[in-house]
Amino acid sequence: MIVTENKPWEEVKLALDNYMANKIVIVSCGVCAAKVGTGGTEGAKKMEAQLIDNGFSVLTTVVVDEPCDDRMVKQAFRKIKDEVEKSDVIISLACGLGTQAMNTVLREKFPKKVALTALNTVFMGETERFGVYKEACRACGECILNETGGVCPITHCAKSMLNGPCGGSVDGKCEVGDYTRSCGWVEIYDALQSIDRLDLFLKVREPRNWSESGHQRELNLR
Amino acid sequence: MTEVKTYSNLMKEIQSGRFVLTGELEPERTANIEPTVNEAIELRKYCIAANITDNPKSTVCLSSLAGSYLTQEKSGLEIVYQLTCRDQNRMGLGAAILGAASLGLKNILALTGDHNACGDMPASKPVFDYDSTHLIQLVREMADKRSIEGLPLDEDCPNIEIHVGGAANPNASPMEPEIMHIQRKAMAGVEFLQTQVVYDIEIAEPFLKEIREKTGVPVLLGIFPMSGYGVAKGFDELVPGVSVPKDLLAKFKAVKKGGLGKKEKKEAYRKLNVDFYVPMLKELKKKNLVAGCHIMAVHYPKIFPPLMEALDLQPRE
Ligand code: SF4
Ligand code: SF4
Repeated sequence: MIVTENKPWEEVKLALDNYMANKIVIVSCGVCAAKVGTGGTEGAKKMEAQLIDNGFSVLTTVVVDEPCDDRMVKQAFRKIKDEVEKSDVIISLACGLGTQAMNTVLREKFPKKVALTALNTVFMGETERFGVYKEACRACGECILNETGGVCPITHCAKSMLNGPCGGSVDGKCEVGDYTRSCGWVEIYDALQSIDRLDLFLKVREPRNWSESGHQRELNLR
Repeated sequence: MTEVKTYSNLMKEIQSGRFVLTGELEPERTANIEPTVNEAIELRKYCIAANITDNPKSTVCLSSLAGSYLTQEKSGLEIVYQLTCRDQNRMGLGAAILGAASLGLKNILALTGDHNACGDMPASKPVFDYDSTHLIQLVREMADKRSIEGLPLDEDCPNIEIHVGGAANPNASPMEPEIMHIQRKAMAGVEFLQTQVVYDIEIAEPFLKEIREKTGVPVLLGIFPMSGYGVAKGFDELVPGVSVPKDLLAKFKAVKKGGLGKKEKKEAYRKLNVDFYVPMLKELKKKNLVAGCHIMAVHYPKIFPPLMEALDLQPRE
């Protein structure tokens, strides 16, 4: 899941003032952000109240099932065409993907309009329980989970070492974060030991190839 | 068999079988290298070489390449150029190694580096394109095969005459992943190891045995002679994962509180260090578990003469 958190209200307000916006349309995510509570109906309600309290007028609020899909966004905007036309800005309660998809569609269909985000996108993570998330994958494009007992060293190791641990861990805890988080390489060791595959731990892993992931990637499967 | 080439005084000393002493120098946040040079001139009497740290503990300091070159040049003491993967990518590292070779440096200590978040510029971008194992491999590739990740060095490039060392942490817990990590460094071609500070032979001995058995790489054991109670207490509190033994700390405290004159106090501290470290070092040396000792006595060169005397080592000059 893509984990998001609310930007401080002052920052959102500053952005709105910067665009001299008063009439607002709220577009909220129905998937990840809805689960985290920053989007969905719940997040949208809170944002609406906040805006009204501060003297803004909310023309309409929609929850889009998958706002990171250009087609879904197009469909949603078609239904609220008039409100979008009348609005000063759109406020997005979605991750960076959703907000960008909204802007892609706006540029095409409503070229004078912009979507501002009220969220910070923090990471792709696992959900431990409601409200507790842990970053788990950086989409490196060369997944090595099969060699590391299913624990990602790129994410779990603060230095993204391919050959760890770094010598900075104490009692299995990482030097980053005051020894509260597990050392990724101790986790990998434990995982490989329990499946009897420490031979994989001993392997020297070559440096990563950044030639593809060092810049924006596109994928066309058609 | 290919002939093993030895370029540095440090490697020659290690191969000679003599008990090797290396020191540690930390250029600070200044463009003035003189204090480091002066300390190196002092160390030259005792050590075969000394390390120059690379933004130690992730704090921004004088460049370790410039510091290594200037100190070696001006003091005549051979330098171990510490190089971390935190601040530059493989292109920067390859360039730094070429630079080091062009400046006559003969030893590199290849480190991953402390994380930026632990230092004084936590907002800086952590690089870590390589890790220490990759850096060891790169130095060896450049020295042995004249290439950088397969890109050949120019024909006019002299051979890269640099040895590469690595770090080892005897205090690691759990120990097994650290041992395997060092095994990997050995596979990558590391030529010597310098350990983090150890206080306890019960910790050092099994660790060193494992390293000897599994890698055979010569080890310089890290020790931290302490010039006073304040330093000892600070180290005990500030360095995670290592603690100064309680009774040793108590002895340091007793000296501080003992009402001695300044000179006697210094004398007493020196004696405490010697009495504490020498039996451990002698024992490990006798068992052939260490090639020598890496003495991290930054700003405390006065500890060397009594330490060396107790170890039956002659000053170098
Ligand atoms: S190695 Fe880690 S970052 Fe890369 S794809 Fe796999 S889980 Fe994601
Ligand atoms: S302590 Fe472990 S997780 Fe943290 S940087 Fe070092 S190897 Fe990576």
